[in-house]
Amino acid sequence: MELFLQSIANGLVQGGFFALFAVGLVLIFGVMGVVNFAHGELVMVGAFTIWLLHAQAGLAYIPAIAVAIVLVTVIGLVMERLLFRPTRSDPLAGLICSIGVLFILQVIAALIGGDGPSKQVPPPYHGTLIMFDALRIPYQRVFSLVISAAALGSLWFFLTRTKFGWALRAVAMDREAAELQGINTNRISMVAIGVGTALAGLAGGLIAPLTNINPHMGHNVIVTAFIVTIVGGVGSLSGAVLAAILYAMFHTLITVYIGGTIATISGLVLMVVVLIVKPTGLMGVKVSE
Amino acid sequence: MNSAALKGKRGFTIQKLAIGVVGLIALLITPHFLKFHHQDLLIFLTINVLAVCSYRLVTLTGEWSLIHAVMMGVGAYTVALSVNHFDLAIWFTLPLAGTAAGLVAALLCFPLLRMTQFYFLIGSFAAGEAIRLIWVEFVGVFGGTSGLRGVEAPIVWGIDFLDPIPYFYFTLCVVSFCLLILYRIENSRIGLTLHSIHWKAPLAESVGVDAWRYRALAFILGSFFVGIAGGLKVHYLGSVTPNQFTIGFMVFILIWVIVGGYNKFYGPIIGVVVLTIFDESIRSFEVIRPAIYGGMLILSILFLPMGLESIPAKLKSLFGSDSAPDDQALSDQ
Amino acid sequence: MPVLEINNVTKQFGGLMALDDVSFQVEEGEIRGLIGPNGAGKSTMFKNIAGFYEPTSGNIVYRGVNIGGKQPHTIAEMGIVRTFQETTLFQELSVFENALIGTHIKSRTNVFSAVLGLDRAKQQAASDKVMDVLEFMGLVERRDQLASELPLGSQRALALAIALVSEPKMMLMDEPFAGMNAEETNHMMDLTRKVRESGITIVLVEHDMKAVMGLCNYLTVLNFGKLLAEGTPDEIRNNDRVIEAYLGGA
Repeated sequence: MELFLQSIANGLVQGGFFALFAVGLVLIFGVMGVVNFAHGELVMVGAFTIWLLHAQAGLAYIPAIAVAIVLVTVIGLVMERLLFRPTRSDPLAGLICSIGVLFILQVIAALIGGDGPSKQVPPPYHGTLIMFDALRIPYQRVFSLVISAAALGSLWFFLTRTKFGWALRAVAMDREAAELQGINTNRISMVAIGVGTALAGLAGGLIAPLTNINPHMGHNVIVTAFIVTIVGGVGSLSGAVLAAILYAMFHTLITVYIGGTIATISGLVLMVVVLIVKPTGLMGVKVSE
Repeated sequence: MNSAALKGKRGFTIQKLAIGVVGLIALLITPHFLKFHHQDLLIFLTINVLAVCSYRLVTLTGEWSLIHAVMMGVGAYTVALSVNHFDLAIWFTLPLAGTAAGLVAALLCFPLLRMTQFYFLIGSFAAGEAIRLIWVEFVGVFGGTSGLRGVEAPIVWGIDFLDPIPYFYFTLCVVSFCLLILYRIENSRIGLTLHSIHWKAPLAESVGVDAWRYRALAFILGSFFVGIAGGLKVHYLGSVTPNQFTIGFMVFILIWVIVGGYNKFYGPIIGVVVLTIFDESIRSFEVIRPAIYGGMLILSILFLPMGLESIPAKLKSLFGSDSAPDDQALSDQ
Repeated sequence: MPVLEINNVTKQFGGLMALDDVSFQVEEGEIRGLIGPNGAGKSTMFKNIAGFYEPTSGNIVYRGVNIGGKQPHTIAEMGIVRTFQETTLFQELSVFENALIGTHIKSRTNVFSAVLGLDRAKQQAASDKVMDVLEFMGLVERRDQLASELPLGSQRALALAIALVSEPKMMLMDEPFAGMNAEETNHMMDLTRKVRESGITIVLVEHDMKAVMGLCNYLTVLNFGKLLAEGTPDEIRNNDRVIEAYLGGA
């Protein structure tokens, strides 16, 4: 029972990460119509930045996260301007370009960090929170969870209460109609990818002390992001958050009781099942014709 | 496929025949001049030609799957298992490999082909990953991450296929045969119907074309042929591991097809040949190779979206050709 | 005996009622006009008949068989073929190849025959059929031209040809006269009459009143998804409610 609760708790923390990068992916896809295959690598860059600046160079953790976010956002904006905007008419082309970026980022990371064993970042926050005499959650994880929740909350506020947010949603629903209404869709695309990649950078920064860092860690991220996105409903941000949390718990439980590979296989099968039974996912809206 | 191409097929000229014969002779004697390592490469190149041409059949309907590399693995594992457990001869293992991949594809049609475009892409990616992870997980059957080994080289008619040169000729025969079939399919009415689904599925449906069935046909046939390619690979290498068929390899296939071009039958062939040679030349830059590929992919998409196959036509228009396309000019002689 | 029965068909999209309890019948050999102002639901009705939509309620009966909800290709096999609004052709293919796609229903081929070349007779028959139809439509000289290179009138004729090759018994023509000048309209009207004379029942959605009045023997008028009126062209021309609906149309 303790194990179960502990797994749920760990799942919740992981769900926070999953939500951060899944939401970013959905945002980019919803507003720009393109699948950013390099999204996992963006998280990886965020994590590597923490390793380089915090673990190696001694910069404090929080500023390092800030740098990670800025760096990843810049990469995202460059991608939008150079790759996604020229290929807007052909989303497949945009996807292929993002695969190209994937490779380039992996190589850069390998060059900077060397391709040796995975790197570790010692957690800046020590100590463990003990709840109900049974649950032990390291403060590092508590920190991640709180920051994830805060980021997602801010995003929700941004999307529903600000002018930019409304514009984003308008473009996501109907790009042409939004243009006709005078919305600068290019700028909105940049905002969308800026926010989406910033979240990825943040995720990378938060994950860094909790996982092994290597140039190929992005693979698992993108697989998870796809599963979460599809299960939650493509185009639905709340669906993505909900699916992220549920899937994280699902995956953690199966990993603990059976095994990590089976957990991922189950996730993939789940995703295919959702695609068959309810392609719009948990909360997606069916687009007619 | 356009009218000029249709006419060109009938305009079979001495020139074309001569080029073909010279090319064939060159192909046949090349391996004797190559180092061992390059002989290996030539064999893999030939196998990869089958992989990309079979992929092109799938994409004729306009759908890009990400499971093709894994299908090659299905063929490879089938051969490994049938040789290790049943000691089957290569005449049986290769068709078996193709059939196995085709069957897996047929099963996957039902879940996967309900989706199109983005969803199909992601769904096929997921299904492929799941299959690959099954190879990793079920160590007893598939050998886990180390895969299966000890697949004995076939000995046919007293020729030991462990030797690259005989195996190259064998592979060349098998691949050529498969390419011939693929070519004929594409240029038949079936190919025409596949194209019609790609361009205007509702129009095709309104005259009775069942789009689902044709997508399924393309998917199953494409998988069948890449399964054979996988079988050829494992017969030569002697072992198979899950890491040979990751999304990384799938991306290579994509790169070959996209950079080479996929409007014509030979586009992907150009892609895989040019890029394999290029790959060899940058061998020393091992670490940054993926980045070079990434860069090429991006440059290709942005600046040469129709692929390398479109270069002859571009050059022609650049230098102001005074008459009709290639084929007609030749056939008028 | 009516060849097509629309019985109380309703089609809803979320809150939008595109078709509201519409009923009418089409007799064999007619040229029926389905008219009405923009947004009346005419194209939606076509899509329901041809299988691209499924009626929310009500049924559609073709020669005694309920076809509501069947797949488009199944309905095509049963003999109902639809042409599309705006020009829908396989632009990258030649005129001949475009029409060849239409032979699919009548002469299917399978992979083995195609590869081994066993179906040569079928191929020839299909080819001949295509040439017949191209001649019928006056497109023979253009047979090798790319569809994208054709003038408007020929493009519409080609769309008709693709449909005709599949030997339909009923054709749903969706605004074939759109964007045509007087000469092209006359030519198209001739072609349409030829098609009907070859034994095909036609239902025509069209805004061009000259074509409608000149071709159709009976008209069904829709407005806001509901059936507004039915009658001969003369009756409809003088129907106050129809005139009002069009706001000074015909």
